[in-house]
Amino acid sequence: MIENTKEVKDKDFNIKRSAEEIRNLSFKDHLCIGCGICESTCPVSAINLGDIGAIVRTDSQNSKLSINEGKCVLCGMCSGICPADALIFSIDSQPISKISSYPKYDAYAEIDDDKCIYCQKCEIACPREAITIARSLPDRSKLVTGEIDINEEICVYCGICEEMCPADAIDVDRTPESESIRVNKDKCVYCLVCKKSCPVTAIKAACRICSYGDYDINMEDAVTKGSSFIDDELCIKCGWCEGVCPTDAAKVKKPFEGTLTIHQDKCTVCGTCVDICPCDVLSFPKPSKSGEIVNNVAKDEQYCIRCGACAKACPVEAIEVQVTNVDYTPTKSKSWIEKFEALKN
Amino acid sequence: MELKVNQDNCLGCGVCVVACPVNVSISPEVSGGHGSLNEDVIMMVENGFIKLFNEDKCEKCGTCQMFCPVDAIWLE
Amino acid sequence: MPKHIASGLKYLATIELKKKGLTQQKIAEELGIDRSTVSHYLNGRNLSWNSIAVARTMTELCPKDFLILTKVLVKDAKKAQKIISTCQNKDFEAEVLDSCIGCGLCVDLCLMEAISLESLKANVDSVGCCGCLLCQEGCPTNSIKILEVNNDREY
Repeated sequence: MIENTKEVKDKDFNIKRSAEEIRNLSFKDHLCIGCGICESTCPVSAINLGDIGAIVRTDSQNSKLSINEGKCVLCGMCSGICPADALIFSIDSQPISKISSYPKYDAYAEIDDDKCIYCQKCEIACPREAITIARSLPDRSKLVTGEIDINEEICVYCGICEEMCPADAIDVDRTPESESIRVNKDKCVYCLVCKKSCPVTAIKAACRICSYGDYDINMEDAVTKGSSFIDDELCIKCGWCEGVCPTDAAKVKKPFEGTLTIHQDKCTVCGTCVDICPCDVLSFPKPSKSGEIVNNVAKDEQYCIRCGACAKACPVEAIEVQVTNVDYTPTKSKSWIEKFEALKN
Repeated sequence: MELKVNQDNCLGCGVCVVACPVNVSISPEVSGGHGSLNEDVIMMVENGFIKLFNEDKCEKCGTCQMFCPVDAIWLE
Repeated sequence: MPKHIASGLKYLATIELKKKGLTQQKIAEELGIDRSTVSHYLNGRNLSWNSIAVARTMTELCPKDFLILTKVLVKDAKKAQKIISTCQNKDFEAEVLDSCIGCGLCVDLCLMEAISLESLKANVDSVGCCGCLLCQEGCPTNSIKILEVNNDREY
């Protein structure tokens, strides 16, 4: 008979069926957001979502998901419907996201390098640390112009200019009998602090920009260059990058539309939802002035992906997540369409 | 996962009783530190030690474990 | 003995193909046997009538038993498939419901290799189907119905 094999490595696992074709389902625990969509989708009830609250908040060795390999028929529905790519189903090593007959979410996150100014705000805001913005700054020496000269006959090598220099451009060797002073012109910004602070007036310096303006500066040299990278595996299309981007370079399309409702009267402020939310949507609000009464839990709905992980984990059912629309690529399979449509509630 | 207690470690401080969101929703007075008025809550301090009354009500959120100062209550 | 019964099955298949009007050469190719063997069968030479009787009984078993016994007796999978589909005295049609999830379990279960997946749905080739019901029994969503549409094929 045909049997599945299971390979477990730490909290991750692979379930495989080898026949004419090799069907493989692999689970990556670190990507799982604990939404439980796979559990409710599985047509053979082979998936069990763990106690996500306890698993995320304590140093539990438990995996967020367990799959009964005896029940699993390797249909791949859990993988197709996982909004976090934590379950990857492949046929002959080809993931179903690359096979056109399988539906997948119509969702993306991208950064337009032509608009990006490499401010790194998205990298800092991304709750999944999925973004890397690499940047190379312009040469400082090309953005300033001036002259500096030190008269060593007058200089007493006191080192005051070295200590004062904000650009770390002056080196003073104060060893008796072998004293010296050097200015690194690649670092000097001609701010004239050294000249002003020199107690013996040994420094002559002038900033040309102060006198003549930016004529000597080629503005192309002043541009910060760089590149952006979004790790598609980690990204959950929450929209933080788009929300914080000052130049509209980041664009995000979420897979779901819907609503998030917090019943403040039921909430007991345990913080489970705050710790679980993969999108940093939920937080404990801080009063703006003393004595102000604030909500138990605050939400920043703009970044909610309606995954429902918070509602599932809330021990007192104080959160409701409604999905009103799901965007997925077309498929001919009625049963797959039914499962995607069932996400709406 | 199951809720476990170790009375040998317990200081009887009652932090878990107060922090537990299910306890608070069953008996709101526990959040004020008054202690529960009934035995419907998950856990209570009895004779200076933590005791489980209704562990089947536990939703496994891990809050008690996070707040316990001495590892006397945990999920495993 | 098993070899003799396998020969009996090949004899029955030879007769069946001859009825369809195939040449001896063609029959030999189809069944993967020597042309001289085909000639012996058709001329009633060197036959073990006992084995043929057993083989004929096998074809009258329920399709699943016929399939599995033939698979055991005829080691080569392709030859076994050919013999089963030739000697099968019933025709089957499959109905695949929309509840099919495209798990491909039936594809892997079908010993006749008569099932493929098309657009995440099982597609059963009724010519290859031997009516064993292995797919129907194994389907996790009960989405396959195998229907016997004709059982009066005569030898």
